[in-house]
Amino acid sequence: MLLPSYYEYCCRVKTVAGHEVLERIPELLSSMHAGKPMIITDKGVVAAGLMDIVTGALADKLVIGSIEDDVPPDSDLRVVNELARKYKAKGCDSIIAVGGGSVLDTAKGVNIIVSENADDLMKFTGAGALKRKLKPLVAVPTTAGTGSEVTLVAVIADHEKNRKMLFTSYFLLPDVAVIDSRMTMTLPDFLTAMTAMDALTHAVEAYTCLSKNPVSDACALEAITLISRNVLNVVKNPTDKDGRLALATAATLAGMAFSNSMVAMVHTIGHSVGAVCHVPHGTCMSILLPYGLEYNMHKNGEYTAELLYAVAGEKVFASTPKEQRAAKTVEYIRGMNQALHDATGGRHARCLREIMGRDGKPMVPAGTLETIARVALGDGSIFYNPEDLDFDDMMMVLTAAWEGVKLDQNMIKKG
Amino acid sequence: MNDFKEIEPGGRPFVRAYLEFMLWFVGRAIQAASKVDDSVRREFAELPEGFTFALTAAPAGPSMVVGKDNAGKVKYLGRSIEGRNLNVKMTLKSMEGLFQLFTFRESTPIANARDRLFVEGNIPEACAAVRILDIVQVYLLPKPVAKLAIKRYPIWDLKRHSWNRAMVNLRAVIGF
Repeated sequence: MLLPSYYEYCCRVKTVAGHEVLERIPELLSSMHAGKPMIITDKGVVAAGLMDIVTGALADKLVIGSIEDDVPPDSDLRVVNELARKYKAKGCDSIIAVGGGSVLDTAKGVNIIVSENADDLMKFTGAGALKRKLKPLVAVPTTAGTGSEVTLVAVIADHEKNRKMLFTSYFLLPDVAVIDSRMTMTLPDFLTAMTAMDALTHAVEAYTCLSKNPVSDACALEAITLISRNVLNVVKNPTDKDGRLALATAATLAGMAFSNSMVAMVHTIGHSVGAVCHVPHGTCMSILLPYGLEYNMHKNGEYTAELLYAVAGEKVFASTPKEQRAAKTVEYIRGMNQALHDATGGRHARCLREIMGRDGKPMVPAGTLETIARVALGDGSIFYNPEDLDFDDMMMVLTAAWEGVKLDQNMIKKG
Repeated sequence: MNDFKEIEPGGRPFVRAYLEFMLWFVGRAIQAASKVDDSVRREFAELPEGFTFALTAAPAGPSMVVGKDNAGKVKYLGRSIEGRNLNVKMTLKSMEGLFQLFTFRESTPIANARDRLFVEGNIPEACAAVRILDIVQVYLLPKPVAKLAIKRYPIWDLKRHSWNRAMVNLRAVIGF
């Protein structure tokens, strides 16, 4: 446990979680003086039948202003503008976002435009540009991974100008996060594994990076405990309601942790693997997490060691000598990846070279590693990594993660 | 009520003077390092023409502005950020935060991690600016002090440690 001489923590999102909590949305909106929401979602959510559950839960209790399912996998400025136009035309007074990170980011972008009565989203890019509360926003996550239902960031792509705009403000925090186990019940096994490891990475990096603080630590530890106790069981028994709720709750807790203490090199490199090779974020996270912990071991090994209790339980923690606990934590996380690989019939990749696209071709050819390393040098999360990382360090980590071998501790530069 | 005496906060003139000097010297050292050090030169080469970044303290603390002109030359542009079109602005939330930084009681990464500073501008460019500042600190500070200021003390060859260090310091003093 670290007690910094100064830290900040803020999460003002009301969390409502349970097996049948969607039914509470009308009442929650009413308490915010809203009753005609626009529902923003994507076609995947509709195809999975989740919108039927949502609309069934809301039926007769409020007027749904509009249901929009045109959100692409990568949030898009044009879509944001179009949805804002429809919101105004249909006289909506609030937003319900049902989906993953892209849907929620889109909903946040729409909320900026309709609340500020703006025509140009660009005016609000960057940190702190928003100065007042926005329209009521209810977030209903359909994956148990991103934690975006409790984060203050939105990333919206302007595909015409080939750029991504970042928005950061406490006013972007949703008013309510509704965590309902029915929303993740149909998630396929490999997606359950990938998103759970994404949430685990959020929590582990939040606990071990430079900006950790006692409040985010508490969230992170509980998230790690819930994930490590439940993920394999849920992958093997997808209808385990309590397990689904545990993973969804863990993702929210991990979101609360990392949105306050930030993340580190696993995200630094993972973002770049995603940007260069279009690999799903959770896959990058699960592969790179053990490497991030190994690389920083000489700087933050004591925190990694503390995680063994949450990752492996009290018996393993008690029977492992103190000086071996950090390495044991990494070993357990690698073991989780292996177990998930086996349980998903190999669809959960263990190293970068195992990631295959839909066409069956490798998504991360060895020749892309240098480009990934260069892009990673410009990722902001690098500031929060305990140890410095230059191009050569990135290449060392990427090469090991590509091959699926442990990092050689003797090769890590310690200044 | 008219007799109530307005209390004005002290200006901490010695702290301000110390910070003004440190920022002035670091700014000139960045200019010098861009001519002497290959890594700094490469970092600036990747940045856009006209790139300008500032290090300052809120609300009206001392500042340092460094920029790259259209010919690619890096220059210390002085102490005023007023009216400047900055690509990257790193702001310590208080002068005390900046003082902690420049008395090496807190490193830049830790100050950032503890929410003592915020960065405005393009993040990849901010990352480059931080890398440049790190290299310059290694040139200006003795190893035990530099180790407090940066994450990892680099392994450099003898020429970089001795000749380059001497040139950066000399050029910073004479402003060349």
